[in-house]
Amino acid sequence: MRKRTLKRGLTAFWWITLVFLYLPLAVVVLFSFNASNSAASMTGLSLRWYHQLLGNEQIMTAFGNTLVLAICSSVIALVIGCLIGYGMYRHRHRKLGWLIVLIYLPIVLPDIVFGISEMAFFVQFHRLTGLLQPGLGTMIIAHVTFQIPFVALIVYSRFVGLDPTLFEAAKDLYATPVKRVVHFMLPTIKPALISAFFLSFTLSVDDFVISFFTAGPESATLPIYIWGAIKKGVSPEINAIATLMIGAVAIAAAISLLFSRKNQHSRKRQS
Amino acid sequence: MSTNTIAVMGRSQGMVREARHLLFTVAPGALWIVIFLVLPSLYLMAVAFMTNGPYGLPQMPLSLNSFKQLAGVGFLGWSPGNLYTLLRSLWQTLVATGLVVLVAYPLAYYITTCRAKWRPIMLLLVVVPSWTNQVIRTFGWMNLLAPGTPLSNAAEVLGFISPNMGLYPSNFAVTLGLVYNFLPFMVLPLYAAFEKLDTAQVEAAQDLYAKPTRAFWHAVFPQTLPGLLAGIVLVAIPAFGMYVIPELLGGGKAMMLGNLVATQFSGGSNWPLGAAGAILMLIATFIGLFAMRRIGKRLGGGEEVVI
Repeated sequence: MRKRTLKRGLTAFWWITLVFLYLPLAVVVLFSFNASNSAASMTGLSLRWYHQLLGNEQIMTAFGNTLVLAICSSVIALVIGCLIGYGMYRHRHRKLGWLIVLIYLPIVLPDIVFGISEMAFFVQFHRLTGLLQPGLGTMIIAHVTFQIPFVALIVYSRFVGLDPTLFEAAKDLYATPVKRVVHFMLPTIKPALISAFFLSFTLSVDDFVISFFTAGPESATLPIYIWGAIKKGVSPEINAIATLMIGAVAIAAAISLLFSRKNQHSRKRQS
Repeated sequence: MSTNTIAVMGRSQGMVREARHLLFTVAPGALWIVIFLVLPSLYLMAVAFMTNGPYGLPQMPLSLNSFKQLAGVGFLGWSPGNLYTLLRSLWQTLVATGLVVLVAYPLAYYITTCRAKWRPIMLLLVVVPSWTNQVIRTFGWMNLLAPGTPLSNAAEVLGFISPNMGLYPSNFAVTLGLVYNFLPFMVLPLYAAFEKLDTAQVEAAQDLYAKPTRAFWHAVFPQTLPGLLAGIVLVAIPAFGMYVIPELLGGGKAMMLGNLVATQFSGGSNWPLGAAGAILMLIATFIGLFAMRRIGKRLGGGEEVVI
């Protein structure tokens, strides 16, 4: 009897928490279709804010910057992270404690410390050498820095899940290391690579603090634009652009999840 | 030449090749992180010990001025503004972490009592909101808590706030934002702990006629403690350094350490002071990491929890 009341109470609590978790997002989505200017009341449905987005040059530039930043940084991080993930696997019997610390550092460092360190570094470096002016370039560098660990860990865990005798077999099958990489390794870790790419992409689009401190005057991304608009006083357009971002991130995250599940399934089958 | 020496030569050649392989695969990433993160953070630490120059840029000589300023020693004597900010950060972190535990604990337990096929989906439902941009999520709360919204009106009728004030900006809004932001970080490790729960202990307690509360504290709670502690580290450390939430939901009177640090850099006013604040966060982070390692050893594979 008592158990049933407990279970009922917990079920109610679960649904209340879900409302708590989704309410802020739902409000943003709902108000993006609001016909009036008011941020406090809905007067009717319309798509006018979405129409306005298309005509807003700043938003379009910010959108472009976000895409360029996410794609460039994810590609670079994929290459570097993949190498490091494989190196960690191949040499896992050595004492690589320092490498693990190094790889976890970008994950555990508070965003604000991360962003400010990079900013101080880039500013002084630019003063001394004239290179690395704050802009998309410095942002790409910063993003790659926090993406590398995630790529490396995903690739590493994929390799660990493989049967070690596969590597021996590949050695017998393919004569040159290059052939081994092209015909054996890359196809085998493809799910991990795709999952890592989408995770990096999502992380990049999601990031605000690190981008904010490494950005230049003309390299604002969508989160930075939204931040500025909020600070200046809310314009209803923000709801529309935020809704689009919620949708895009949800799709990217779903794809990443799908591939990571595939990754796990195939790993289960092999073990 | 004996076969033995050939074998030795072969091995040493192999070792050279292995070392070269290690260098080729690991060096680019390791160098990248060292150049673009380790060196900058070391530089930041050095800045904390320099003096504030024109335009807020650091200069020699070395001094401890920035730490004194953080503790409240100003040009015109005692000005505790920075100290208040520091204490507020600690207090907000404490309250938010406590509230997150109170919400996440029953939630994680509830998920484990549901059918196995639903559990991953339920966990996903808890995590998905945190995938959207933090600025957008916080903006959502601004919409919900602003003056004139149903929530603010309700709080006004109940007498929690004075008329036309709205629930935001306020310290309360910051706490709420923190709880919202960090809930998933607590649910995941707690869920992992509950899933591994040894129910035999609970049954033993019941067989011995232990009251439910006693059975909980002696048979359930100790088993979930590693997950709980991991969750606390995952929530408290980033909450202490939070920037976006207090900036948007707090207004000027609810500043936290993250805002203090950021202001010193973005306004170009005082880099050394900002760097000193950043060092406090670094210390907090390393204490957290150390605690995490110890918990991880007891939990067995605590590193999975980090991601």
